Amino acid sequence: MNDNTNKSRREFLLTGLLASAAVAGCSDKNNPFSTEDQVALTGQKVKLLSVDGEVIEIDKAFLKPVPDTPQLSNSEERRGIPGKKFVMVIDLSRCKNLRRCQSACNHMHQVHPGQNWIKVLGMEDADHTAPYWQPTTCMHCDEPPCVKVCPVDATFKRQDGIVLIDSDRCIGCRFCMAACPYSTRVFNWEEPILTEEVADQPYSCETSMPQKRGTVGKCDFCPDMSRKGELPHCVSACPNGVFMFGDMNEDSVTNGAESFRFSDLIKDKAGYRLMEDLGTKPSVYYLPPVNRNFPYESGLENEYKPDHLYEDAKLSIKKN
Amino acid sequence: MKKMNQNKFILLFLFISFNLFNNTLTAQNDSVKPENVVRLHYFNINGKMQYLVLESLLKNGRVFTPHSKMTYEIYLDSAAQKNLVSSVTTDEEGKGKAFIPPALKSIWDASSQHTFIVKQGDEEVLSDYTITKAKITIDTSTVDGVKNITATVMDLKNSEWVPISDVEMRVGIKRLVGIVSAGDEPTYTTDSTGSVTVELKKDSMPGDQKGNLVLAVKIQDNDEIGNLLMEKTVPWGKVTEHNTTFFEQRTLWSTRFKTPYWLLFTVYSIAIGIWGTLIYLVFRIIKIGKLGKQFAMINGSDEPDDI
Amino acid sequence: MEKSTSISTLTSDQITRDLLPQKFGKRGMIWTGILIVVSLFGLFAYARQLRYGLIVTHMRDYVSWGIYISNFVFFVAISLVGSLITAIFRLTNVKWRTPITRIAEIIAVSNIVFAALIIVVDMGRPERFMNLVLHGRIQSPILWDVIVISTYFFISILLLYFPLLPDLKILLKFKKQTGKRLNKLYRFQGSFWKGTKEQMHISDRSISILCIVIIPVAFMIHTVTSWLFATTYRPGWDSTNFGAYFISGAFLAGAGAVAVAMYVFRKAYKLEKYITDMHFERMGRIVVMLALVYLYFNVNEFLTPAFKMKESERSLILQLFVGSYAPMFWFAILVGMIIPIIILVFKKGRRPLPMFIVGIMVVVGAWFKRYIIVTPTLLHPFLPMQNVPENFKYYFPSWEEWAIAGGSLAGALLVITFFARIYPIIPIQETIDEQNELNEKNEKDESK
Repeated sequence: MNDNTNKSRREFLLTGLLASAAVAGCSDKNNPFSTEDQVALTGQKVKLLSVDGEVIEIDKAFLKPVPDTPQLSNSEERRGIPGKKFVMVIDLSRCKNLRRCQSACNHMHQVHPGQNWIKVLGMEDADHTAPYWQPTTCMHCDEPPCVKVCPVDATFKRQDGIVLIDSDRCIGCRFCMAACPYSTRVFNWEEPILTEEVADQPYSCETSMPQKRGTVGKCDFCPDMSRKGELPHCVSACPNGVFMFGDMNEDSVTNGAESFRFSDLIKDKAGYRLMEDLGTKPSVYYLPPVNRNFPYESGLENEYKPDHLYEDAKLSIKKN
Repeated sequence: MKKMNQNKFILLFLFISFNLFNNTLTAQNDSVKPENVVRLHYFNINGKMQYLVLESLLKNGRVFTPHSKMTYEIYLDSAAQKNLVSSVTTDEEGKGKAFIPPALKSIWDASSQHTFIVKQGDEEVLSDYTITKAKITIDTSTVDGVKNITATVMDLKNSEWVPISDVEMRVGIKRLVGIVSAGDEPTYTTDSTGSVTVELKKDSMPGDQKGNLVLAVKIQDNDEIGNLLMEKTVPWGKVTEHNTTFFEQRTLWSTRFKTPYWLLFTVYSIAIGIWGTLIYLVFRIIKIGKLGKQFAMINGSDEPDDI
Repeated sequence: MEKSTSISTLTSDQITRDLLPQKFGKRGMIWTGILIVVSLFGLFAYARQLRYGLIVTHMRDYVSWGIYISNFVFFVAISLVGSLITAIFRLTNVKWRTPITRIAEIIAVSNIVFAALIIVVDMGRPERFMNLVLHGRIQSPILWDVIVISTYFFISILLLYFPLLPDLKILLKFKKQTGKRLNKLYRFQGSFWKGTKEQMHISDRSISILCIVIIPVAFMIHTVTSWLFATTYRPGWDSTNFGAYFISGAFLAGAGAVAVAMYVFRKAYKLEKYITDMHFERMGRIVVMLALVYLYFNVNEFLTPAFKMKESERSLILQLFVGSYAPMFWFAILVGMIIPIIILVFKKGRRPLPMFIVGIMVVVGAWFKRYIIVTPTLLHPFLPMQNVPENFKYYFPSWEEWAIAGGSLAGALLVITFFARIYPIIPIQETIDEQNELNEKNEKDESK
């Protein structure tokens, strides 16, 4: 529960971005995922002082803490980031049901009160097995049952492995919700509650914002954050480092504070995926809840009642 | 669309946050006034680019929330107008970034150690953030097939580079976000010569299409020298090709442009077969109509007897 | 050939007079009025749903399909009977089908129309319906359903239209009785029909082709509808038996609906001479056979998973057999299958009134059966239902859902009612032809 580390972790991410931008400028294209291409360059140069006291020029876009990414076309968003294969590892031994992932995700995506894209489930597999907390996101399956059944290509699988939803295309038939064995999808049953700022944005599949009434929503692995060189909101919000995100093609995952070679991590800790027998081939791996950092019971105090939240939000809507 | 104004949304967010922490905290919050906390971080990237990130937070008990839309002035060494580095306004995450302008070249060059001062209006909110100019160098060597990375950290003391010991840093391979440690330890600390040698134990890590890896050495939030990052590209990786065949295949989950052929064939043959028949039958109706008209032409408007 | 006693003495004129469409009587007016009110109320509820979104329903993230979908399955099921009575009976040369073919066919058309409409109602974004055409993805069973349902609708319309042509010619002769407006409609639809040999030949052949084509399409509509469920992993839906299970249930439900319609039309239009006790007797045998087949598939569908009690299926099966859905589950089995079978195995049970009651039981049982197929499964996801408001964990339709579902049922009945007002519900020409054939045969027998 230390916010200091949490904040500095974000800084760390920011550094990564600028580093690659600087490198891309002076060396050959050594980074397949050069962030230089991702930042909306304004063309306006700004003169600055370098570490050695030299005067250097950089693009004005870098002045902002997080550079703006350009508005991508729908077809680019549907294609995905070339050369990437995103993967997530969730370490169950570190989870104590804090739900920071959930609240960060809900906040950043303005998920409807009462609904969640990430659920932290209190699991107990059988009568005499030990209970554990299991954060559940969209599995971004390689054989996605939800995509199979979509009649209009509104949900689709990208080359970087991410399964996204195009809320401008979705007809709201909810077949995908019935098809998903992980019950990860939520539906905008009513007009979403959005801040003005978000409501005025043009829609983007990558940010899944602004959400639209009568369409399906779900965890999107935050590809907009990846394009900026940052981690998904749930990953950076978790103070216990439960979530690790990375690129299968780079064979590495990180929770911000620690980075691991993916294959080693899965081998050493016996990683597994949910419902392997269904053949959905998820992109989310779990590390079993052994040698836990917290007892299961410590998470019980964090159980909250979504009902209250839901009712409260309803009241605030009515007042408006 | 229903819109909530920013304040209400923040209230909602706070409400969510409060639910997450225990109730005693919320009780405390009634009596304690939120405190404004300002932090500064100095960044040195590849020994070339440098900048400052200002972070403004509201401290409420143990809870920190970003303080957005706050304006601060950052000064170099003294809070005089000529020493102004930049005026920054924090964004949604409570952060603002500042670069050191060329106008401050003489002040920057004058000393190897600098203090940054942050003012909000007339009030000095931060005055003790001091940074010493420093650099990292990376040397690589391969002996008997063992790949070694040597990182050295030095700071500038009286215009001379002096090695610093006991600096904690990461030494590893740069990835999407973060650095995968080259050896077994997550971090390494410099010895009395200011350097650390790490053996690359992660063999055949995937590199780019040429097999290049980017090595990175990173110092994070050091009290003396701030945040430093140094990178070096080495041909130590495994060549990886972008394999798009998985994505290009025709499967049931592919887009409508990549429908499996067997399915297309089945659906089209059934649809064409049946609708062909139906269209044929529509033409038969037209034929019946024509026959009726012919009949009427021949027999006047009379109708045939019931058969 | 069937020996039908009561028609044998009828002349063509009498048949024509008996079977001409009649104006609504007092009862007809009340009936139509009620249907219109119920439909309008459904429309009002739908207007609310359009305005506020699907939040007006009680569907939520877990139960994401509710009575709209079960109503859809019900409509598709009922519509299947068109193919049974018209096509299968025709191909197998069942002679007594004549007076009920048009009833079955209009039930098929009206139900398939409302099946399509209720799907649009269920959509979160009905205004994007055209996306199904513009961005249609053949891999999705929904698209198969769209294709197959529109095909079935078109075939059913043709199958209604071809046999109507000779009747239109007769109707045109009765301008005074039918009124100017209807006369115009008949003229537009069938003035070209002169009843020449060539025309008759084309028409006969076309009907034969349609009867062959409609059978696979009918099987497809309901199989594909079952695949909307069976292509998912959900317990209770993940079944290879589902296509056959749905089709057998559909034939039963449709046959039940036809039995009800036969009784109602017979009473309302005084058609005792045309829809005779014999027809009920025959229809009763059909219904009992279909009910037995459906019961067989039910046993097949539930026994094997209940025997194994796989963990994913366990809680669902227990909830259906002995849990909160048990009353509805056993109601659907008892009232929809077992009691009808018991009644219909007795000859007395196959008389008009018991048949009418059995028909209602079968149809009502069928509706609840569809509810049982859709909703309970969704309440048994693989991962536990947590982190959601309490009202996400159960489902009972809201008044808007009941109103819309009720409105759609009333709408389907209204289409049938108006059809019977405009067109002869029993084919006139065919009945006359059959009568003539019979008379000729009788004469031959006598001359012998």
